[in-house]
Amino acid sequence: MQQPALRLVRLGRVTYAELLGLQDRWLRRLQTEPRTEGLSGTEAGALLVCEPAGPVYTTGLRGGLTPEETARLRALGAEVRVTGRGGLATFHGPGQLLCHPVLDLRRFGLRLRMHVAALEACAVRLCELQGLQGARARPQPYTGVWLDERKICAIGVRCGRHITSHGLALNCCTDLTWFDHIVPCGLVGTGVTSLSKELQRHITVDEVMPPFLVAFKEIYKCTLISEDSPS
Amino acid sequence: MALRASRSMRAVLCTLRAVPSPAASRPPRPWQLGAGTVWKLRTGPALLSHKFTEKHEWITTENGIGTVGISNFAQEALGDVVYRSLPEGGTKLNKQDEFGALESVKVASERYSPLSEEVTEINEALAENPGLVNKSCYEDSWLIKTTLSNPSELDELVSEEAYEKYVKSIEE
Repeated sequence: MQQPALRLVRLGRVTYAELLGLQDRWLRRLQTEPRTEGLSGTEAGALLVCEPAGPVYTTGLRGGLTPEETARLRALGAEVRVTGRGGLATFHGPGQLLCHPVLDLRRFGLRLRMHVAALEACAVRLCELQGLQGARARPQPYTGVWLDERKICAIGVRCGRHITSHGLALNCCTDLTWFDHIVPCGLVGTGVTSLSKELQRHITVDEVMPPFLVAFKEIYKCTLISEDSPS
Repeated sequence: MALRASRSMRAVLCTLRAVPSPAASRPPRPWQLGAGTVWKLRTGPALLSHKFTEKHEWITTENGIGTVGISNFAQEALGDVVYRSLPEGGTKLNKQDEFGALESVKVASERYSPLSEEVTEINEALAENPGLVNKSCYEDSWLIKTTLSNPSELDELVSEEAYEKYVKSIEE
Protein backbone atom coordinates (compact mmCIF):
# COMPACT_ATOMS: atom_id res chain seq x y z
CA MET A 1 0.00 0.00 0.00
CA GLN A 2 1.47 3.32 -1.07
CA GLN A 3 2.21 5.70 1.78
CA PRO A 4 -0.05 8.73 1.96
CA ALA A 5 1.65 12.05 1.31
CA LEU A 6 1.13 15.38 2.98
CA ARG A 7 2.04 18.76 1.56
CA LEU A 8 4.57 20.23 4.01
CA VAL A 9 3.86 23.91 4.51
CA ARG A 10 6.54 25.59 6.61
CA LEU A 11 5.23 29.00 7.52
CA GLY A 12 8.10 30.18 9.72
CA ARG A 13 7.03 32.94 12.09
CA VAL A 14 3.46 33.96 11.32
CA THR A 15 0.49 35.41 13.13
CA TYR A 16 -2.10 32.98 14.42
CA ALA A 17 -4.61 34.56 12.05
CA GLU A 18 -2.47 33.64 9.07
CA LEU A 19 -2.18 30.07 10.27
CA LEU A 20 -5.96 29.79 10.71
CA GLY A 21 -6.59 31.37 7.33
CA LEU A 22 -4.37 28.87 5.60
CA GLN A 23 -5.87 26.02 7.61
CA ASP A 24 -9.34 27.08 6.48
CA ARG A 25 -8.28 27.10 2.84
CA TRP A 26 -6.92 23.57 3.13
CA LEU A 27 -10.04 22.42 4.96
CA ARG A 28 -12.30 23.78 2.23
CA ARG A 29 -10.20 22.10 -0.42
CA LEU A 30 -10.12 18.71 1.31
CA GLN A 31 -13.69 18.70 2.55
CA THR A 32 -15.17 19.32 -0.87
CA GLU A 33 -13.19 16.66 -2.69
CA PRO A 34 -15.01 13.48 -3.64
CA ARG A 35 -14.29 10.17 -1.87
CA THR A 36 -10.62 9.30 -1.76
CA GLU A 37 -10.66 6.24 -3.99
CA GLY A 38 -9.56 7.07 -7.50
CA LEU A 39 -8.01 10.41 -6.62
CA SER A 40 -4.92 11.07 -8.66
CA GLY A 41 -1.74 11.42 -6.67
CA THR A 42 -1.30 10.39 -3.10
CA GLU A 43 -1.83 13.77 -1.42
CA ALA A 44 -3.94 13.28 1.64
CA GLY A 45 -3.70 16.75 3.11
CA ALA A 46 -1.21 19.27 4.41
CA LEU A 47 1.11 19.59 7.38
CA LEU A 48 1.16 23.19 8.52
CA VAL A 49 4.06 24.03 10.83
CA CYS A 50 4.96 27.41 12.20
CA GLU A 51 6.09 29.48 15.17
CA PRO A 52 3.58 32.07 16.40
CA ALA A 53 4.84 35.60 15.86
CA GLY A 54 3.15 37.01 18.93
CA PRO A 55 1.35 35.98 22.11
CA VAL A 56 -2.14 34.56 21.64
CA TYR A 57 -4.51 32.74 23.97
CA THR A 58 -7.05 30.43 22.38
CA THR A 59 -10.17 28.72 23.64
CA GLY A 60 -11.91 25.63 22.32
CA LEU A 61 -15.41 24.40 21.51
CA ARG A 62 -16.32 24.40 25.20
CA GLY A 63 -14.84 27.86 25.72
CA GLY A 64 -12.31 28.10 28.51
CA LEU A 65 -12.12 31.82 29.32
CA THR A 66 -14.67 34.15 30.86
CA PRO A 67 -15.20 37.61 29.33
CA GLU A 68 -13.36 39.09 32.31
CA GLU A 69 -10.37 36.80 31.80
CA THR A 70 -10.38 37.63 28.09
CA ALA A 71 -10.26 41.36 28.81
CA ARG A 72 -7.44 40.86 31.31
CA LEU A 73 -5.39 38.85 28.84
CA ARG A 74 -5.90 41.40 26.07
CA ALA A 75 -4.72 44.10 28.48
CA LEU A 76 -1.47 42.13 28.82
CA GLY A 77 -0.91 42.62 25.11
CA ALA A 78 -2.00 39.20 23.90
CA GLU A 79 -4.58 38.28 21.30
CA VAL A 80 -7.47 36.10 22.42
CA ARG A 81 -9.11 33.84 19.84
CA VAL A 82 -11.99 31.42 19.86
CA THR A 83 -11.47 28.18 17.95
CA GLY A 84 -13.60 25.11 17.32
CA ARG A 85 -11.00 22.63 18.50
CA GLY A 86 -11.34 20.30 21.47
CA GLY A 87 -9.77 21.32 24.77
CA LEU A 88 -10.05 24.46 26.86
CA ALA A 89 -7.74 27.49 27.08
CA THR A 90 -4.11 27.49 26.11
CA PHE A 91 -1.35 29.85 25.06
CA HIS A 92 0.62 30.09 21.84
CA GLY A 93 3.61 32.34 21.29
CA PRO A 94 7.18 32.76 20.08
CA GLY A 95 9.39 29.82 20.93
CA GLN A 96 6.58 27.33 20.42
CA LEU A 97 6.32 24.80 17.59
CA LEU A 98 2.76 24.74 16.26
CA CYS A 99 1.83 21.81 14.08
CA HIS A 100 -1.59 21.54 12.44
CA PRO A 101 -1.98 18.39 10.31
CA VAL A 102 -4.94 18.99 7.99
CA LEU A 103 -5.33 15.43 6.83
CA ASP A 104 -7.89 12.94 5.62
CA LEU A 105 -8.19 10.26 8.33
CA ARG A 106 -9.44 7.75 5.78
CA ARG A 107 -6.28 8.04 3.70
CA PHE A 108 -4.22 7.29 6.80
CA GLY A 109 -6.46 4.49 7.99
CA LEU A 110 -6.67 6.29 11.32
CA ARG A 111 -9.48 6.50 13.81
CA LEU A 112 -9.83 9.91 15.40
CA ARG A 113 -8.47 8.87 18.78
CA MET A 114 -5.44 7.29 17.14
CA HIS A 115 -4.70 10.59 15.43
CA VAL A 116 -4.55 12.15 18.92
CA ALA A 117 -2.31 9.30 20.10
CA ALA A 118 -0.10 9.84 17.05
CA LEU A 119 0.26 13.55 17.79
CA GLU A 120 1.28 12.70 21.35
CA ALA A 121 3.75 10.14 19.99
CA CYS A 122 5.34 12.78 17.75
CA ALA A 123 5.97 15.01 20.74
CA VAL A 124 7.29 12.14 22.87
CA ARG A 125 9.60 11.04 20.03
CA LEU A 126 10.84 14.58 19.49
CA CYS A 127 11.72 14.84 23.20
CA GLU A 128 13.64 11.57 22.97
CA LEU A 129 15.51 12.80 19.89
CA GLN A 130 16.49 15.92 21.81
CA GLY A 131 17.88 13.75 24.60
CA LEU A 132 14.95 14.29 26.96
CA GLN A 133 13.77 11.05 28.55
CA GLY A 134 10.63 10.63 30.56
CA ALA A 135 8.19 12.47 28.32
CA ARG A 136 4.88 10.63 28.24
CA ALA A 137 1.31 10.94 27.13
CA ARG A 138 -1.37 10.61 29.81
CA PRO A 139 -4.95 9.41 29.55
CA GLN A 140 -7.80 11.90 29.42
CA PRO A 141 -8.46 14.44 30.76
CA TYR A 142 -4.68 14.91 30.74
CA THR A 143 -4.32 14.46 26.99
CA GLY A 144 -1.01 15.98 25.98
CA VAL A 145 2.63 15.22 26.65
CA TRP A 146 4.07 15.57 30.12
CA LEU A 147 7.24 15.43 32.12
CA ASP A 148 6.00 14.46 35.56
CA GLU A 149 3.33 17.09 36.34
CA ARG A 150 4.58 19.62 33.78
CA LYS A 151 3.02 19.75 30.35
CA ILE A 152 5.45 20.26 27.49
CA CYS A 153 3.01 19.78 24.61
CA ALA A 154 -0.69 20.63 24.38
CA ILE A 155 -3.12 18.96 21.99
CA GLY A 156 -6.46 20.11 20.60
CA VAL A 157 -8.09 18.78 17.44
CA ARG A 158 -11.18 19.28 15.35
CA CYS A 159 -12.59 16.86 12.81
CA GLY A 160 -15.18 17.46 10.12
CA ARG A 161 -15.96 15.23 7.14
CA HIS A 162 -12.99 13.04 8.13
CA ILE A 163 -10.59 15.97 7.79
CA THR A 164 -8.62 17.00 10.86
CA SER A 165 -7.54 20.49 11.83
CA HIS A 166 -5.63 22.08 14.70
CA GLY A 167 -3.07 19.81 16.35
CA LEU A 168 -0.26 20.27 18.80
CA ALA A 169 1.76 23.03 20.42
CA LEU A 170 5.21 22.06 21.70
CA ASN A 171 7.13 24.45 23.95
CA CYS A 172 10.73 24.84 22.73
CA CYS A 173 11.82 28.12 24.30
CA THR A 174 8.40 29.63 24.98
CA ASP A 175 8.25 32.32 27.65
CA LEU A 176 6.34 30.17 30.13
CA THR A 177 5.26 33.13 32.28
CA TRP A 178 2.44 33.72 29.78
CA PHE A 179 0.87 30.51 31.12
CA ASP A 180 0.68 32.01 34.62
CA HIS A 181 -2.32 34.06 33.57
CA ILE A 182 -4.58 31.10 32.73
CA VAL A 183 -5.36 27.62 34.00
CA PRO A 184 -3.82 25.76 31.03
CA CYS A 185 -6.36 23.37 29.52
CA GLY A 186 -8.49 23.87 32.62
CA LEU A 187 -6.22 21.61 34.67
CA VAL A 188 -5.81 23.30 38.04
CA GLY A 189 -2.55 22.61 39.87
CA THR A 190 -0.52 21.43 36.87
CA GLY A 191 2.54 23.15 35.46
CA VAL A 192 4.04 23.80 32.08
CA THR A 193 7.54 23.37 30.80
CA SER A 194 9.65 23.58 27.65
CA LEU A 195 12.52 21.76 26.01
CA SER A 196 14.83 24.64 26.96
CA LYS A 197 13.76 24.53 30.59
CA GLU A 198 14.14 20.77 30.86
CA LEU A 199 17.47 20.56 29.02
CA GLN A 200 18.86 23.75 30.51
CA ARG A 201 19.92 25.21 27.19
CA HIS A 202 18.31 27.47 24.62
CA ILE A 203 16.47 25.32 22.07
CA THR A 204 14.74 27.09 19.19
CA VAL A 205 11.83 26.02 17.01
CA ASP A 206 14.15 26.07 13.99
CA GLU A 207 16.51 23.65 15.68
CA VAL A 208 13.82 21.07 16.47
CA MET A 209 11.88 21.36 13.23
CA PRO A 210 13.96 18.83 11.23
CA PRO A 211 13.85 16.07 13.89
CA PHE A 212 10.17 16.84 14.50
CA LEU A 213 9.39 16.26 10.82
CA VAL A 214 11.40 13.02 10.88
CA ALA A 215 9.38 11.87 13.89
CA PHE A 216 6.10 12.84 12.17
CA LYS A 217 6.91 10.87 9.01
CA GLU A 218 7.94 7.84 11.09
CA ILE A 219 4.83 7.84 13.22
CA TYR A 220 2.27 8.69 10.58
CA LYS A 221 4.04 6.48 7.99
CA CYS A 222 3.76 9.13 5.34
CA THR A 223 5.91 11.20 3.04
CA LEU A 224 6.10 14.97 3.16
CA ILE A 225 6.12 16.91 -0.08
CA SER A 226 8.07 20.09 0.43
CA GLU A 227 6.61 23.45 -0.30
CA ASP A 228 8.24 26.63 0.80
CA SER A 229 5.37 28.97 0.31
CA PRO A 230 1.67 28.53 1.09
CA SER A 231 -0.44 27.37 -1.86
CA MET B 1 -8.22 5.36 26.13
CA ALA B 2 -5.67 3.20 27.91
CA LEU B 3 -2.52 2.44 25.97
CA ARG B 4 -0.47 -0.36 27.40
CA ALA B 5 2.48 1.20 29.26
CA SER B 6 4.80 -1.67 28.40
CA ARG B 7 4.79 -0.90 24.67
CA SER B 8 6.46 2.09 23.08
CA MET B 9 4.20 4.62 21.37
CA ARG B 10 5.52 3.56 17.96
CA ALA B 11 4.86 -0.10 18.51
CA VAL B 12 1.31 0.67 19.62
CA LEU B 13 0.66 2.81 16.56
CA CYS B 14 2.14 0.21 14.21
CA THR B 15 -0.36 -2.36 15.36
CA LEU B 16 -3.27 0.05 15.42
CA ARG B 17 -3.14 1.15 11.79
CA ALA B 18 -6.08 -0.18 9.79
CA VAL B 19 -4.10 -2.73 7.77
CA PRO B 20 -6.27 -5.10 5.70
CA SER B 21 -6.09 -8.52 7.33
CA PRO B 22 -8.44 -11.36 8.15
CA ALA B 23 -10.38 -10.63 11.30
CA ALA B 24 -9.01 -13.72 13.00
CA SER B 25 -5.39 -12.62 12.82
CA ARG B 26 -5.97 -8.90 13.43
CA PRO B 27 -3.77 -7.74 16.31
CA PRO B 28 -5.60 -6.61 19.43
CA ARG B 29 -6.40 -2.91 19.43
CA PRO B 30 -6.33 -1.37 22.89
CA TRP B 31 -8.92 1.23 21.97
CA GLN B 32 -11.54 -1.31 20.93
CA LEU B 33 -13.77 -2.62 23.67
CA GLY B 34 -13.45 -6.18 22.47
CA ALA B 35 -13.87 -8.46 19.49
CA GLY B 36 -17.63 -8.11 19.63
CA THR B 37 -17.68 -4.32 19.35
CA VAL B 38 -18.10 -3.93 15.60
CA TRP B 39 -20.90 -6.50 15.67
CA LYS B 40 -22.96 -4.81 18.37
CA LEU B 41 -25.43 -3.52 15.82
CA ARG B 42 -26.49 -7.09 15.05
CA THR B 43 -26.87 -8.35 18.58
CA GLY B 44 -28.77 -5.33 19.89
CA PRO B 45 -32.44 -4.52 19.21
CA ALA B 46 -33.17 -4.27 15.52
CA LEU B 47 -33.03 -0.65 14.43
CA LEU B 48 -35.61 -1.10 11.72
CA SER B 49 -36.84 2.44 11.86
CA HIS B 50 -33.37 4.00 11.81
CA LYS B 51 -31.87 5.29 8.61
CA PHE B 52 -28.17 6.08 8.47
CA THR B 53 -25.74 8.37 6.72
CA GLU B 54 -22.12 7.71 5.87
CA LYS B 55 -21.18 10.43 8.34
CA HIS B 56 -22.52 8.11 11.05
CA GLU B 57 -25.68 9.99 11.96
CA TRP B 58 -29.04 8.20 12.20
CA ILE B 59 -32.56 9.57 11.90
CA THR B 60 -35.95 8.16 12.79
CA THR B 61 -39.15 9.86 11.76
CA GLU B 62 -42.68 9.81 13.07
CA ASN B 63 -45.46 11.95 11.68
CA GLY B 64 -43.02 14.30 10.02
CA ILE B 65 -40.94 14.77 13.19
CA GLY B 66 -37.34 13.65 12.87
CA THR B 67 -35.03 12.54 15.68
CA VAL B 68 -31.30 12.59 14.93
CA GLY B 69 -28.41 10.97 16.76
CA ILE B 70 -25.02 9.36 16.14
CA SER B 71 -24.29 5.69 15.59
CA ASN B 72 -22.53 3.27 17.89
CA PHE B 73 -19.54 3.34 15.53
CA ALA B 74 -19.31 7.11 15.92
CA GLN B 75 -19.64 7.16 19.70
CA GLU B 76 -16.90 4.55 20.00
CA ALA B 77 -14.66 6.48 17.64
CA LEU B 78 -15.10 9.57 19.80
CA GLY B 79 -14.46 8.04 23.18
CA ASP B 80 -16.01 9.57 26.28
CA VAL B 81 -18.10 12.54 25.20
CA VAL B 82 -17.63 15.53 27.48
CA TYR B 83 -19.56 18.26 25.68
CA ARG B 84 -22.11 18.84 22.96
CA SER B 85 -22.62 21.96 20.86
CA LEU B 86 -26.09 22.01 19.29
CA PRO B 87 -28.03 24.58 17.26
CA GLU B 88 -30.86 26.78 18.50
CA GLY B 89 -34.48 25.86 17.92
CA GLY B 90 -35.65 27.27 14.63
CA THR B 91 -32.33 26.70 12.86
CA LYS B 92 -32.96 25.56 9.29
CA LEU B 93 -30.57 22.95 7.98
CA ASN B 94 -29.92 21.65 4.52
CA LYS B 95 -28.93 18.04 4.04
CA GLN B 96 -25.30 17.59 5.09
CA ASP B 97 -25.05 20.96 6.82
CA GLU B 98 -22.97 20.90 9.94
CA PHE B 99 -25.36 21.25 12.88
CA GLY B 100 -23.03 21.02 15.83
CA ALA B 101 -20.16 19.10 17.34
CA LEU B 102 -19.46 16.58 20.05
CA GLU B 103 -16.30 16.82 22.09
CA SER B 104 -14.46 13.94 23.62
CA VAL B 105 -11.50 15.36 25.44
CA LYS B 106 -9.32 17.38 23.07
CA VAL B 107 -11.25 16.38 19.94
CA ALA B 108 -14.27 18.27 18.61
CA SER B 109 -16.09 16.23 16.01
CA GLU B 110 -18.60 17.92 13.70
CA ARG B 111 -22.07 16.42 13.18
CA TYR B 112 -24.07 16.69 9.96
CA SER B 113 -27.74 16.95 9.24
CA PRO B 114 -28.96 13.82 7.45
CA LEU B 115 -31.75 15.74 5.71
CA SER B 116 -33.08 19.24 5.10
CA GLU B 117 -34.86 19.99 8.33
CA GLU B 118 -35.67 22.63 10.92
CA VAL B 119 -34.54 22.15 14.48
CA THR B 120 -37.43 22.11 16.97
CA GLU B 121 -35.79 20.72 20.07
CA ILE B 122 -32.32 19.88 21.36
CA ASN B 123 -31.63 17.21 23.94
CA GLU B 124 -31.17 19.16 27.17
CA ALA B 125 -30.22 15.99 29.07
CA LEU B 126 -26.90 16.03 27.24
CA ALA B 127 -25.96 19.40 28.69
CA GLU B 128 -25.71 17.86 32.14
CA ASN B 129 -24.71 14.41 31.03
CA PRO B 130 -22.89 14.39 27.70
CA GLY B 131 -21.61 10.89 28.44
CA LEU B 132 -25.14 9.61 27.66
CA VAL B 133 -24.05 9.64 24.03
CA ASN B 134 -21.67 6.80 24.78
CA LYS B 135 -24.15 4.80 26.87
CA SER B 136 -27.30 5.04 24.80
CA CYS B 137 -26.58 6.44 21.37
CA TYR B 138 -29.78 5.12 19.75
CA GLU B 139 -32.29 6.10 22.41
CA ASP B 140 -31.70 8.51 25.26
CA SER B 141 -28.98 10.56 23.65
CA TRP B 142 -30.66 11.79 20.49
CA LEU B 143 -29.14 15.15 19.61
CA ILE B 144 -31.89 17.14 17.90
CA LYS B 145 -35.55 16.81 16.96
CA THR B 146 -36.65 18.42 13.74
CA THR B 147 -39.42 18.91 11.26
CA LEU B 148 -38.49 17.61 7.86
CA SER B 149 -38.50 20.04 4.96
CA ASN B 150 -38.31 17.36 2.30
CA PRO B 151 -39.29 13.87 3.53
CA SER B 152 -38.41 12.29 0.17
CA GLU B 153 -34.74 12.78 1.09
CA LEU B 154 -35.22 9.83 3.49
CA ASP B 155 -35.04 7.56 0.44
CA GLU B 156 -31.43 8.62 -0.08
CA LEU B 157 -30.40 7.26 3.33
CA VAL B 158 -29.55 3.65 4.06
CA SER B 159 -30.91 0.97 6.34
CA GLU B 160 -29.12 -0.38 9.38
CA GLU B 161 -27.94 -3.39 7.38
CA ALA B 162 -26.41 -1.31 4.60
CA TYR B 163 -24.84 1.02 7.16
CA GLU B 164 -23.32 -1.96 8.96
CA LYS B 165 -21.77 -3.14 5.68
CA TYR B 166 -20.38 0.34 5.11
CA VAL B 167 -18.81 0.46 8.59
CA LYS B 168 -17.25 -2.96 8.04
CA SER B 169 -15.77 -1.79 4.74
CA ILE B 170 -14.12 1.26 6.24
CA GLU B 171 -12.82 -0.72 9.22
CA GLU B 172 -10.81 -2.90 6.87
